[in-house]
Amino acid sequence: MFIDIDCNQLKKYNQNAFGDYFVSKRYPDEAKLIAVLSDGLGSGIKANILSCMTATMLLRFVENSQIPIKHAAEIVMNSLPVCKVRKISYSTFSVIDVNDEGDAKIIEEGNPEFLWIKNNEVMTPSYESIPSKTFKNRCMKSYKIHLELGDRLIFCSDGVTQCGLGNSRLKLGLRREGLIQLVLAKLAEEPDISSSDLSAYIVRQAKNIETDRNPKDDISACVLYCREPRVSLVFTGPPFLQKKDAEYAQMFRDFKGKKAICGGTTANLISRELNIPITMDKAISVGKLPSCSYMDGVDLVTEGILTLTQALEYLESGQTTGIDNAAGKLVEFLLDSDCINFMVGAKLNQAHYNPALPIEIEIRKNIIKKMAVVLQDKYFKKVNVQYM
Amino acid sequence: MEKISVKVCLGTTCFVMGSANLQELMEIVPAKYGDKVDVCGVPCLGLCSVDWEFSKAPYVKVDDEIIKDATTEKVLSAIDAKLEKK
Repeated sequence: MFIDIDCNQLKKYNQNAFGDYFVSKRYPDEAKLIAVLSDGLGSGIKANILSCMTATMLLRFVENSQIPIKHAAEIVMNSLPVCKVRKISYSTFSVIDVNDEGDAKIIEEGNPEFLWIKNNEVMTPSYESIPSKTFKNRCMKSYKIHLELGDRLIFCSDGVTQCGLGNSRLKLGLRREGLIQLVLAKLAEEPDISSSDLSAYIVRQAKNIETDRNPKDDISACVLYCREPRVSLVFTGPPFLQKKDAEYAQMFRDFKGKKAICGGTTANLISRELNIPITMDKAISVGKLPSCSYMDGVDLVTEGILTLTQALEYLESGQTTGIDNAAGKLVEFLLDSDCINFMVGAKLNQAHYNPALPIEIEIRKNIIKKMAVVLQDKYFKKVNVQYM
Repeated sequence: MEKISVKVCLGTTCFVMGSANLQELMEIVPAKYGDKVDVCGVPCLGLCSVDWEFSKAPYVKVDDEIIKDATTEKVLSAIDAKLEKK
């Protein structure tokens, strides 16, 4: 089971920093994911610092199973300083720790209750209340739930549930009931909506409800969606030992999922071993990159190092849509997957060490290593790299 | 008469060494020779890894003839020579 997670946020009107902070990290070795959403008191830079500290510290505590999640949350709850102005704790938080089997531990302190949607119904999970030993007005909720395929969890900051507060239509704001209605209606319309699209939708709707469409508070919506993973394979570079070509080509053929080849020599290798002819675009280059080629049964065939380097740049900069070249297609291919497998050939082409070549020609292994990190940390993908 | 095939290598080495500038062949060749010559890109001719010490990329193949340090002029004169022989 794959957990598709994403968060979308809006800043409070007239502020230049987000007052809510979302952080999430996957741990492929332990097959789990930890995410924290924190809302700092006030808004702007102050709130940004408070929520950022709370969220990153919590994540740091919980990762590597250093401290059990409940204990870690308790430590944070008991030690969060009191805001001078409002006399309450200076940030709120929700933490979720979920593994690939769907066993989820969730702790909430101060944030609106999360939504658990199963078969288009909102569940009411039981929880344990843990009052703070040091502050009377603080109490956290601890949930242990089991998620199944198709389930969704929605976390949000109070900017969502309180949006529209005071305007003529929604005197008390959107509230939980309003949010449920909004989400269920969207799900009826688009049952397979991705977390990224659903969280963007919630945030957009919340903004539309606000008077003059100016958010009165920071708005964040984080969605988790349990679904079958979309797996893909990127085959790049010829294997170190040429006699293994056939073996790796078979692995490529037998892979179930989307497939891409990055590299001219690599494409020739697969074409030769699997007896699939290659056809090319009628253009030599699109933008500054060689154009794509086509092979039956392969979703994308591009040139190697230049395209990979450019794709990495796009991924790092966050500019990922509307790019009309081979690297843009590769980025689209990668972002449309949940689990990405790289098969990386370790053979070096000595011609690439010709000093006349531009310095940007990097070693394939290094590009892939950087790409794996970006895909994991910035786009929350599961990445697996195999050298051959 | 059999068509002459022109293959422009679009591998990494050839591309950065100049095959990116051979795009004009795609327009010149059909205009000049009509359907007697077929020009297309290929993912890689695999020549730079054999010939690297002499750094002769970009490579273009006109039928079986390999053109090193290919330029539009060189490719066109190779095509002319082939057509004369036929």
